[in-house]
Amino acid sequence: MAIDWRQYRCENFYDELFQAPGTPRPAARTLADYLDDLSEPELAERRLAAELAIKVMGISFTVYSEGKNVDRAWPFDIIPRVIPLSEWQKTEAGLKQRVHALNLFIQDLYNDQKIIKDGIFPAELLRESVNFRKQCLGVKPAHGVWAHICGSDLVRDKDGTMYVLEDNLRVPSGVSYMVENRLVTKRVFPELFESQTILPVDDYPAQLYDTLCAISPRPLDQPNVVLLTPGIFNSAYFEHSYLAQQMGIELVEGSDLFVADDDCVYMRTIYGPKRVDVIYRRIDDLFLDPEAFNPDSILGVPGLMRAWINNRVALANCPGAGVADDKVVYAFVPKMIKYYLDQDPIIPNVPSYLCMDPSDRSYVLANLDKLVVKPANESGGYGMLIGPRASKDELDKFRKLIESNPRNYMAQPTLALSTAPTLMEDGSVEPRHLDLRPFILSRGSVDSTYVTTGGLTRVAMVRGSLVVNSSQGGGAKDTWIVDFDDVPTQTQSQGGAA
Amino acid sequence: MLSRVASNLYWLGRYLQRAENTARLVNVNALLLLDLPRGIPFGWQPLVQITGSDDLFRSIYGDDFSESNVVRFLLLDQRNPGSIHSSLHAAREILRTVRDAMPREVWEKLNDLHYFVIGQGEGALTRSRRGAFLQRVIDGTMLVYSVLSFNMSQDVGFQFLRIGTNLEQADMTTRILDVRSTSLLDPTGRPEQLAPLYNIQWMSVLRSLTAYQMYRRHVKARVNRTGVLRFLLQNRDFPRSVTFCLSRIAATRAHMPESRSVERTLLRVRALVQDANVDKLVEGGLHEFIDEVQMGINDLHEAVTSSFFTV
Repeated sequence: MAIDWRQYRCENFYDELFQAPGTPRPAARTLADYLDDLSEPELAERRLAAELAIKVMGISFTVYSEGKNVDRAWPFDIIPRVIPLSEWQKTEAGLKQRVHALNLFIQDLYNDQKIIKDGIFPAELLRESVNFRKQCLGVKPAHGVWAHICGSDLVRDKDGTMYVLEDNLRVPSGVSYMVENRLVTKRVFPELFESQTILPVDDYPAQLYDTLCAISPRPLDQPNVVLLTPGIFNSAYFEHSYLAQQMGIELVEGSDLFVADDDCVYMRTIYGPKRVDVIYRRIDDLFLDPEAFNPDSILGVPGLMRAWINNRVALANCPGAGVADDKVVYAFVPKMIKYYLDQDPIIPNVPSYLCMDPSDRSYVLANLDKLVVKPANESGGYGMLIGPRASKDELDKFRKLIESNPRNYMAQPTLALSTAPTLMEDGSVEPRHLDLRPFILSRGSVDSTYVTTGGLTRVAMVRGSLVVNSSQGGGAKDTWIVDFDDVPTQTQSQGGAA
Repeated sequence: MLSRVASNLYWLGRYLQRAENTARLVNVNALLLLDLPRGIPFGWQPLVQITGSDDLFRSIYGDDFSESNVVRFLLLDQRNPGSIHSSLHAAREILRTVRDAMPREVWEKLNDLHYFVIGQGEGALTRSRRGAFLQRVIDGTMLVYSVLSFNMSQDVGFQFLRIGTNLEQADMTTRILDVRSTSLLDPTGRPEQLAPLYNIQWMSVLRSLTAYQMYRRHVKARVNRTGVLRFLLQNRDFPRSVTFCLSRIAATRAHMPESRSVERTLLRVRALVQDANVDKLVEGGLHEFIDEVQMGINDLHEAVTSSFFTV
């Protein structure tokens, strides 16, 4: 017996798999029993098999450090995270509701701005938003969808409540790892897929392709859809090439495209120029088009904004969609849901203090050592302050930052993020903190919205750490949505079979 | 097919073929040297000349063409863009950029080989382990190519891979002929002492191109200079002969967009090689002839590049 679950110290947080040491949650029982039955060498062997699979499959991500881009093998923990289907269905409904409201909000901001006129959303926030693109004013993209692809980060607090921590509406990444994690797990624990119903995740590329085809400005059976990447040195390049491959579309770089006098976008092929209908762009707004934004960008395509505004090409996500994933705008999402849909949010926001608000600000400044402070527009966990772990110098630094630019900061209580058992180098199992990033594909209505089954579970591999980003030492786990009503309750009798 | 992707596939073919050829070259040279008497005025330097990197080698190692320097240079040195390590690295980088156009297994095989070279390369510097290392590189590159041939749709993209592969092979075959023929034709020591070794050396030329057995079957005569030259330049059936490689490139035409300049250049180089009078060349002008063929191959490269890659 490799793992003695009675020794698993999970009492201090909400653990995803265990109610108490030695007692798995119902949906995780089959998994816990199975792991329990593996001998130490068997477990070590499975772990090696996973490492090998990742290396051979070439699942990697790129880290930029010390002036060099390093291609690293994907850090993966073989013990999956399990969520019962019944719970997931509620989360799914919550995500559909939320992203639909976000799309209505973006469409409103770039057109009538009713939410501002009605006094729900402060005009000054919009004025100071760095992700608001005035070039997009008046644009009405197909089906009213601006953020076709959204990655929302979910976390669970000590009492087990699931919260939305943030929404990524610009170029969210990670979905390829979600699909690949499953492939690795299937190679490593094939037996587990026979004894229970684990919902598949590999439908995503096909769903994404359908979503993209549906926004083509030309009514064609097979519009020319491409994926625009910044290139091989981008940290998510693996994913770009993976998705292009899975969808069977061209992976293009800026230099492969050009905008002609007819405002249409063409790609350079060996047969000459070929018209492009839809671009799934994985480069940031400001690098999209040197004519409209950053003139120094060599990643983008001159004239692309002109082509998009004139509806000669569709972009996903639309430029300017990032206006809604600002961490300060985040605090208004529950109000948006109420305003546009007249509903209460199904998944709550983490309570947030906006530093632009004088009373919130004084609370934040007085309780800095207890809070997590986030700048409005950073991603990847950069530029954050984790109060309880910060030095006095860091606290002072943030106090000054907040006072000089309050609009740019928001604060949240430090959540006691949930944990899941994670296999350590020495073969022991310890709880590690994690979050969950599902991906949501929007097509214009709540009903047509697609949500991945589960999502990407990211784990902070360092003991006690809350930072799950792969660029900062995070890893990942496969995420199982288990239809656990199907599982025979007589698991004990099956236990000794292996 | 994107021009950039076509160009990448073309280079992928070239780098894979280069890695394989370099491995064979080093392998055969080691065997050849074992057969030669001590003090023979020829050792590892010709290998550097064959790969056309004499100047680069000197800038790194000076004039010391010792076995260990040359082997390191050709196998592992990342400063040498033609080394096995660099070629596989380049092929892997390319594959990363065209992964979406490739069957997944190709990537897995190449990735595996790349890690092998990184992990085991240093060990291959010692003679005892070199043979096995090089064989694994040869096997690995052939495996990648074979997975490509069987699992990738043989559409227009595949044609670029074929063009790259065959162009590289034609290039390498002519280089080997060029360097081996000059170093063999002008022995500096006493000619009468070297005479019996000529044939061993020509056999080694054949072996570097795995052509020995096929030569015997086709030519049915003992190995000699004229026979070897004719076989490697003009044989229509042997996959590493220059004529064969050029005919494979010509065969891609049916699947390719039209290009007058590629067609014209190909026609010219093929005629040059096929019409050559080898008996006469052996008496004089071989080096100049091969130079001309090499320039032709280079023109073909330029024609492909300007017709399809720089749209």
